[in-house]
Formats: sequence, C-alpha cells, structure tokens
Amino acid sequence: MRAAGGFVLFGLALGAIPFLGLPAFYETFLYLLLHAVVLATSWNILSGYSGYFSFGHGAFFGTGVYVTAALVAQYDWHFLATLPLAAGAAAALGLALGAVVFRVRALRGELFALLTLAITFVLATIMLNKVDGGPGIQVMTDIPRLAPTASGALYLLMLAIALLALWSARAVFYSRFGTGLFAIHDDEDVAEVMGVPTYRFKLAAFCLSCALAGLAGGIHAVFVSYVTVAETFSIALAVNVVLMSALGGTRHWLGPAIGAIVITALLYGFTAGEAPVLGRALVGVILIAVIVLMPEGILGKLLTPSPRKRRARTNSGTEPELRSGNERAPSPNSEPMLVARGVSKSFKGVQALVEASFEVRRGEILGLVGPNGSGKSTFINVVSGHYLADGGSLLFEGEELLGRPAHRIARAGIARTYQVPRPFAHLSVLDNVALPPMFGRVTMDRASAEAEAWRWLEFTGLAGKAHARPAELNLHQRKFLELARALASRPKLLFLDEVLSGLTPTEMDEAIRLVRAIREQGATIVFVEHVMRAVMELTDRVVVLTYGRPIAAGLPRDVMRDPQVIDAYLGGRMREEGSIYA
Amino acid sequence: MTIDRRRALAAAGALLSTVAFPGALRAQGKPVRIGSSLPITGPLASLAIIHKVTAEICVENLNKRGGLLGRPVEWVLRDDQSKPELTRTIYEQLITADKVDLIFSPYATASILAAMGVAQRYNKVLLHTSFGIPKLAKYDMQFQTAGSPFDPENVWPNHIFDAAAKLPKPPKTVAIVTSKFPSVHHISVGAREVLKKRGLTNVLDIEYEFGNRDYGAIAQRVKEANPDFLWGGTNGIDPVLMLEAMSKIDYRPPAQVHLFPAPGPMLKVPAAQGSLALTTFESHPPFTDDPAIAQFVHTYAARAKEAGIPYTAVDLQSAIMYAAWQVLEAAVDGTRSLDDKTIAAWLKQNEVKTLFGTLRWNGPQNYVEGADLYKVKQLQQGRWVVIHPQQWAAPGAKPV
Amino acid sequence: MPSATLIGQSVLSGVFIGALYGLLGLGLSLSWGMLRQVNLAHFALAFLGGYLTFQLAGRLDPFVTLAVTVPLFFLAGMALHWFLSRYAADMLNTLLVTFGLTTIIESAIQRIWTADFQRMESAYGAMRWKVGAFYIPFPEAATLLIAMALCGAMWALLRFTDFGRAARAMTEDPAMAAAFGVNEKRLGYVISGLAAAFAAVAGMCLALTHTLAPVQIYAWMGVVFAGVMIGGLGSAIGPLAAGILIGVSEALTMALTAPTWAPLVSFTLLIAIILLRPARF
Repeated sequence: MRAAGGFVLFGLALGAIPFLGLPAFYETFLYLLLHAVVLATSWNILSGYSGYFSFGHGAFFGTGVYVTAALVAQYDWHFLATLPLAAGAAAALGLALGAVVFRVRALRGELFALLTLAITFVLATIMLNKVDGGPGIQVMTDIPRLAPTASGALYLLMLAIALLALWSARAVFYSRFGTGLFAIHDDEDVAEVMGVPTYRFKLAAFCLSCALAGLAGGIHAVFVSYVTVAETFSIALAVNVVLMSALGGTRHWLGPAIGAIVITALLYGFTAGEAPVLGRALVGVILIAVIVLMPEGILGKLLTPSPRKRRARTNSGTEPELRSGNERAPSPNSEPMLVARGVSKSFKGVQALVEASFEVRRGEILGLVGPNGSGKSTFINVVSGHYLADGGSLLFEGEELLGRPAHRIARAGIARTYQVPRPFAHLSVLDNVALPPMFGRVTMDRASAEAEAWRWLEFTGLAGKAHARPAELNLHQRKFLELARALASRPKLLFLDEVLSGLTPTEMDEAIRLVRAIREQGATIVFVEHVMRAVMELTDRVVVLTYGRPIAAGLPRDVMRDPQVIDAYLGGRMREEGSIYA
Repeated sequence: MTIDRRRALAAAGALLSTVAFPGALRAQGKPVRIGSSLPITGPLASLAIIHKVTAEICVENLNKRGGLLGRPVEWVLRDDQSKPELTRTIYEQLITADKVDLIFSPYATASILAAMGVAQRYNKVLLHTSFGIPKLAKYDMQFQTAGSPFDPENVWPNHIFDAAAKLPKPPKTVAIVTSKFPSVHHISVGAREVLKKRGLTNVLDIEYEFGNRDYGAIAQRVKEANPDFLWGGTNGIDPVLMLEAMSKIDYRPPAQVHLFPAPGPMLKVPAAQGSLALTTFESHPPFTDDPAIAQFVHTYAARAKEAGIPYTAVDLQSAIMYAAWQVLEAAVDGTRSLDDKTIAAWLKQNEVKTLFGTLRWNGPQNYVEGADLYKVKQLQQGRWVVIHPQQWAAPGAKPV
Repeated sequence: MPSATLIGQSVLSGVFIGALYGLLGLGLSLSWGMLRQVNLAHFALAFLGGYLTFQLAGRLDPFVTLAVTVPLFFLAGMALHWFLSRYAADMLNTLLVTFGLTTIIESAIQRIWTADFQRMESAYGAMRWKVGAFYIPFPEAATLLIAMALCGAMWALLRFTDFGRAARAMTEDPAMAAAFGVNEKRLGYVISGLAAAFAAVAGMCLALTHTLAPVQIYAWMGVVFAGVMIGGLGSAIGPLAAGILIGVSEALTMALTAPTWAPLVSFTLLIAIILLRPARF
C-alpha cells in the first residue's frame, strides 16, 4: 500500500499545479507530456509486456477522439459524458480485433503489427467518409471548471488519466496477469503449457490498452477543438508510442512514461530555437546516442538487472516440504491415470504418431523409449496441448484431454519439461519457477508462489542462482531449471523429456536421484530417455515406440529382450518392410 | 492587455525623441514583440517558408520606417511542426510566459483554430492569413487578412464560373474532382450547387483522399466523362500529379480550374497550361504599379532564391502574409496603441488598403459576405496572370 | 457500366504504382527478414537517392546517376549494418536508431533542397506508348521493369547461388548456419549494402515518376510496410506481388466507386488475406 500512498501524493502534488498561478503555458505543456505518457504507457501494457507490437495505437486513440468529437459537436452531449463511451468504443474495437486475431495460432509478431497498422487506415477511411465527411469536426464546448483556467482543467483531466494509466500498468506489472504477459513475451507456447491462459490475457491487456488510448483521445478532442482525420490517424502517433516506450524501457511499467517525457520535451524544446530544422536533426542524434548507450532503455539501464527483483528471499534452511497433492502411496500396479487410445498425429505427410495406444498408471515411473523420430516428443506435445492430435482419445483421470487448450491441461495437473530447455529468457530463474504455481493446478498468489519456487530451487540445487537469468546457467543447470519449473506446479503427472541428455555421468546420477525423490512424493512420471542405464534403473514399466507406434509395453527387462524391440533399435525386419516416412 | 505605465512612459519617451530629433525617425526603445508560429517542419513546411521569408521582409521594412509606435518590432517565431496541438501550446507560451505584445497568424485552418482558441481565452486579437472555413471562425476578435468572403463556397465558384464564361469556349459540362482536404472540399461542395444554378451539367463527381499517390484511375474517369471543364478541388501538389496522370493517357481537359495549386510545379506541366486558379495577388501590373510593392516583389525574389525556394514570384501565399503585416501596422498606427480590444474595435470600423485590395471586416463574423478580394488567374505560356475580374487583369491578358 | 478501358487502364496504373511499392519494399524486406533489422531509414534513404538523382539529373541522364548513387548507397548500407550490429542488436533498438537516422536525413534534405516540392524534369517524362486502347508511360514502365528485374534477380540469387543459400540458412537458424561455416557478419554487410542499393534505385524511380518533398518520406511508410509484411519478410518477390495487389485494388476502387474508399478496400483485403491464410506465415 506504500505504492498507493505514493501515487496519491504524487497526484496531489501535480494536481496542485493549476492552482499555483503559473502562466497557463505550463499547464498546456504538461498536458502534452501527460498525453504522451498515457499513450505510451497504455501501448506498453500489451505490446511491451507481451511482445505483441501494435502499430495501430493511433486507431484506438482516434476512435476516442472521434466519438467525443461527434457526440459533442453533432449531438450536443456534455463532454465528460462522452468519455466512458470513447473508452468503451476503443475497447470494443480492440476486443473485436483481438478476438479474431489472437485466436489464430499462426498470427504472431509482425502479423499483429500489420493488422493493427491496417486497422488504422481502414478506420481512418471510414471516419473520413462517414463521420467527418471531409471538413473536420469543430469541438466547441464548455470545459468543466475544475481549475482557474481551461488549460488547467484539461490538464487535470489528463493527469487523472495518466495516473490511471500508470496505476494500471503498475498493477499489471506486479500481478499474476503481468507475469503471464511477460511469459508470453518470451515464449508463448511454453507459457500456455505452463497454464497461462494466453488468449484471455492478451485480449484483456489489449482491451485495457485500447480503453486508455480512447480515453485520452476523448479529452484530446476538446484540447485541439478541431479534429481532422489526417491529423488524428497519422502514422506518426503509431511510431512515436513505440519509440517512447522503447526509449524508456518496455519491460517496466514506468519506462514508457519516461521515454514519453524525454521525447516530447526534446521535440518541443527544439522548436523555439533559431534553427528548428537543425533542432530536429539534433533530436535524431540524441535518440541514437541514448539507444547506443542504453540498449535496454533508460530505465533498463538505471535499474538493477532484475528489475522485478523483490526483497531477496534467502535460503530458510528448512527441508522442502515434499508432500505433493497426491496423497496416495505410489504403487506400480494401480489403476490407469492416463489412457491413450488410437492417438494419431501427422505433419505434412509425416506420420509422427500412428494409432498410439497405451496407458500410464498412477504412481509409476513409466519409461517411454524408442529410436529417434519415433514420436516420443510428439506424444508429449500432444498431451501437453502443444499440438492438436488428428484423431484418437486421451483420457486423464477420466477426462478427455484432446481438444482442450493447453493451459487447461496444465490446470488439470499435467506438467512437462522440454528436451531443449525453454526457459523464459527475460525472467529470472526464480520468476521462471514461480510462474507455474501461479497458473498450474494450484493457483497461488505471488507470495506463496515465490515461496514454492524457493522450495523447488533448493530441491534442484539452484537456490544460489535464483536471481540470475537463464542465459547465465550451464546446460545441466538449465535442465534442472526445467525440472524445477515443471515440479513447481505440483503436477499429478509429469513428463520428463530427455532430462539426462547432455549431462556428465556425475550429473546424471544426481538427476536420477532427483527423479526418484520426485516419485517418492507421489507424482506419476513418464520418463522419456535414451540413456538405457537410467531407464533400467528408474522405470517400473517401459513402453517402446517406433515410427509413431507402440510395439511393446511391460517390465523393463522383458521389453528390452523383445525381438521386435531389438530389431527396432538395430534395424533388420522393420527396415526391410520399408519406412513409413515417405 | 492594458498599457502599463512603464510602456506609456517609454512610448512618450520615444515620441519626445522623434520630436526632438525630427530627422531621426529611428525605431528605438523597448521592442514591440509580435509572436506567432509556423510549420517550419512537418507536412506544411513548404508553405511556411514562403510566409517566413515574406514576414522577415515585412518586419525589416517596418523597422526601417520606424517600427511600430516608434519602437523596433521583434518577431518571435516558433515551429509548430504542422501540429495544431503544438500550435495551441506555443500560443499559450507566447502569451502567458513570453508575454508578447501581440500575437500573429500561424498557417492553415487547423493551426489557426488552435491559436484562435487561445486568443479567445486571453482576449487577444488575432490576425490570420490562411483560414479555409470561415464559418468555423467564431471568435469575436479574429480578423482575416486574405480577403476571403464569409461564404467562399458560394462566392468562389461563381467567380470561377464567371471567368470560365469568358473563355473562348464557355463550358457547359463540368467534372468535379475534389480532395477531402477540409478547405478545398468545402468550396467544392458549394461548387456543386452553384453550377446547377448556372445551368451547367455535372458529368462526374468524385472525391479522393488528400495524399493520394495514384491518379491513373481518376484521370481515366475524367477522360471518359469528357467534360468541357474540370473543376479541380485541389491544392498543393495534387493538381500536378493529376495532370501528369492525364498526360500519360493523352488527355488534356479543354478547360479547368485548380483551386490552390503550388504555383511553381504547375508551370512545368504542359497539360496545366490554361488552367485557372484562385489568387489574391500576382506579380504584374496593376498590382505592381505601387513602387513599394514592386520593391517588395524584387526583394522577395532575391530572398526566396537565397532560401532555395524554387518559385520566387510573389503570389497568393506571400501576399496574404504581407497584407497581414500591412493590417497590423495600419491598426496599430490608427489606434496609437497595442491594446487588443482597441485594435479589434478599430478594425471593425475601418478599412485597410493592402497590396491586393481594400480589406474590411464589417460583415458576419468579421468577414464580408458575398464579396471578396480573390481573383482568378490563368496559366498562360508558363506564367500566371490574373484574368478576372477585369480591373485586376494583367495588361493585355485575355482568357485563352 | 464502367468501360473496359477504364478498368484496364486503372489496373495498369495500379500495377505501376504497386511496382514502386514493391521496389521500395524489397530492401526493407531483406533487412527485416534476414538481418532482423527494422530499417525505418530505408524510406529516407530512398528519398535521399531520389533527391540526389534530381540534383545530378541536370548534367546526367537519370539512369546514369545510378552509377553514382548505387555504389555510394551500397557503402552506406554496409556502414549502417556495422553500426546497427554493433550498437543496436535488438530489433526494437534498430527501429529506434533508424528512426533517429530518418529525422537526421529528413532534416538534411530539408536544409539542402528546402521543404518545397521538387520535380525532376527529364525527357522521359513525356515518353509513352499506346498499346490498343491503353497507354504505357515510360517512367512507370521502366519502374515496373526495374522492379521485376531486381526482385527477380534477388530471388534467383537467393535460390540458386551459394550466397543465397547461405543467406536463407542464416535467416532460419543463425547458430546452425554459423556452425556450417556461414559467415553471418559478411553476409550481413552484403545484404545491408544491397538493401541500401535498392533504396537508391527506388529513389531514382521516385524522382522519375513522382514529386519529391521531405514530408513524403512518411507518406509511403504505411503502405510499403503493409506490402512487406504481406509479402513475407525476407522474400524477394513477395513485396512486389503484395505491392501490386495493393496498388491494383486501390486503383480499381478509385475507378469503380468513390476514390476516398480506396485505402479501406486495399487494407481490408490485406486483413482478409492474413486472417484466411495465416498458415502461409
């Protein structure tokens, strides 16, 4: 609540300015700064946090401008009454666009940018032809007497919105919502698999971003008092918000505001001189210099490497509480937990899984083995929701998994590691592990999630590296990070995808010990491996896949002596029959 | 703004010194500061430079003649980057922080409206040069110096069609092609009505977006409509692009008007020869009969060349800025004051003779209804000459 | 009923301007797709090229000016790549730096040639052919041919040469490509140089067919970006195809209905394409 206090104080201090009797120019200039702050901050909530760059912020701002302008000028509305509609219309537009765009999996990055850019032109044309008609709209209205001068009143209104925008950005930044967005930024697929409801989050961030822009637009209509399409929907605004946020730092809630203030002040400052043209060039030089010196933006440079570092939690020294959600004592012959029936998946003619049917029993460690390309990773990807299977059924504790969005699968209690580790690059090790508990089977708040994360970091021996970035870890540590991350959500069923590959024999022993410890807590494990020693040591049962099909299942010793299995690994009959891989 | 004692003393001192030293009509004392903005950078920069060069000459001349009220004139100019929101801020700065004595015109409708709002709040008189939609100028103390009527959408089409009627082959059919740029669009809307009333037939009516790059389709449509007269509701570089596109399909309108083309580029387009356009002033007699104006034309040509402006003749844009300074000088001299309300009252009651005619402000919203100081010019043999109304026509110039 | 001539001539017109969109987009697409640098300054460079052509055209044939501008810009492109890869590795930062560069170039242009419109006059301006009922103006046709030639050459380069293969490998997986001996740095210089050289050519075509003004730098950004994104980043033919699609759809709209709706049609078309065929990307 310190932050709330700080905001209130800050707001009151700034709010007092119109009453200080300063020349009105200062209020107007500050208005310009605040206006830029709102636009940049609101843009950043979606684009900076989640990495979905919008080049259409002008469209949502313009929507707000025109809603207010039209309602005031053509229908005589009171200006303040139009503001909720301005925000609402912009948000609705964002919602409509997002609902369509975010659903399509293939639409990422540049395409989202393109779409939002296109929307700006589309909207501008519609406004020009239908609402404006050409001559522009003159917005003459009484400004509420909030301050001694009209400029002061508008300044106060924009101040309120700026505070709202900053507060929202900050709230999102520190919340579960924000963590999810940052995860989406780094690796959306993995975030989804870890339980982040990516579609919903992106949509929510987008709507919030648009609503704020629309709100600013509504006020701006009155500020300029004469709106034209060319001025409102210019590409300059779209580019400027990107610049401001990048300059200040997109990974922090305050970054865009700082960039906005710097750029607006610079541009304005250089108009007074004898040589505005030279001044403009100078602004360009300064911009370049700043970026060269501060590649992560101004704030990125000023703050510590882990800007979202909290009060450091030290190793409390307690033994990690190793009870998982699974109370049942493990027993290899218990009932099936995951039943795969005829699951198929092909990619452009390559059949990765062909009618795969087998089961995973509660409390066991099931080895999933097979030659390279046999479909092991594909199976994991299908189960976790990365891929959509072409056919078959996958029952987890009686519920059908196929067709479920990945984040709901995570909620059901399934977790997996990645063969090639895919940590969230910009989050610290601690934050990486703290994410699944916030979104997994047990959804915790941030504090509990972090506590949980500490436990698992200690469990995997990574506690010393908690505040480092994943890039600073070696392969062994990154694999253990994968492990810690997968465990942190306390899954019922855990898929380990070649955890041991690339490890030294000593590291391998440690890993094997860990896997056993995990099972001791009651998790069911599917262990995909090539290292036969580990398979034989650890697993209760083994399933062998070849060319996407299970060809054997049973006790490790028995399966490994199966002639079909030997053929599969060493060639022979299977190869004679020809490859399914066309 | 009230004249404070200090200023009164300074004025008195200046007056005394001119009495004491009658030969030395030098501007001296605390400068009179006139503040304004222009789009020195941004999309409208090409027009701003004309205004800037003109204003600089005006201020120089003014100071040579003793300045305003015997005091030197200092012009405080800022760059509004073609953005009305910056214009508003700049004018607030000029008035409340820099505390200039008088404010002056920015460029183009949107910026002028922004400045007007500020002027209204602080009860400053605003002279403006380039406002395109008179109906929107609702402030009491605003005065235009371009000679525009209150209803240009009515007056100018009539003007133009009057001129067209004088052409060797008076047109009967008209094709309207207009951009959505607010001020010219406004006029074209009026043109539609006017041509109906005059018994002309509208064979094509299309609007395009300002900033359009490709005129091929439009050119073809006009060619197929085969009008006697092309009404180009265009400004800036659009008419050049349009006519070039028409040349490329071997089409040339028999007669045409383009409202406010950038004069220089038009000269070089063969298909533009014979085109009509609106203007207030052209650099030929009878405008240049006044030696002071002839001198100005000469100076401007030199300065424009220095500044790198391709078209160095004084025409509409330069003239409306020159006229603005003429009006300012006349009003301040007429009232012996820098007080906004006094100046405004004086302007409403008086006329000012400018380089393109006599300006007055005694009509609706300080405009004059039904009459104006605009003329119609024609591009003849690579030169723009006024052909209508007759008293302003270049000597010997006939509509071709 | 719109005449066949109207439709045909409009389509031609759209193709011509689309070719210019494509030519402008070629360099942008290459540096964005292959080097992951969003070079906003590409437009400023193109216009600078146009202005240089304009300046030299008094003494030289516009096409001959390429002998001066192309090598110059190739070097400039290499210099830009050096700067960007050294100081602004992140894609977002390249956007920022190139934006700064754009304002610098724009200011320089305004300083030297003023903000006023400059039109290059050349004998080519009046040349045209008539094919049936249709007119084909020389400057536009030349632009189309140049665009097709350059895009085609680039495509062939990428497809059939070692350089091209290396470049494509580098685009897909820089680390892997490096492991196979692909020198990312050297390739980067060449690609960046090429992109800037293409900007010089595009600039000449701009000077030939359009009027130059500093503010125009921004006017082309939106539509060319759209074309680049639709055509696929790193593609040689994509921007041209997309540009022509945009140009033709706009021209047809202007021919058949109120021209003010033109941007709506072209961009809605783009949106539809993206939504209906996202798998392409």
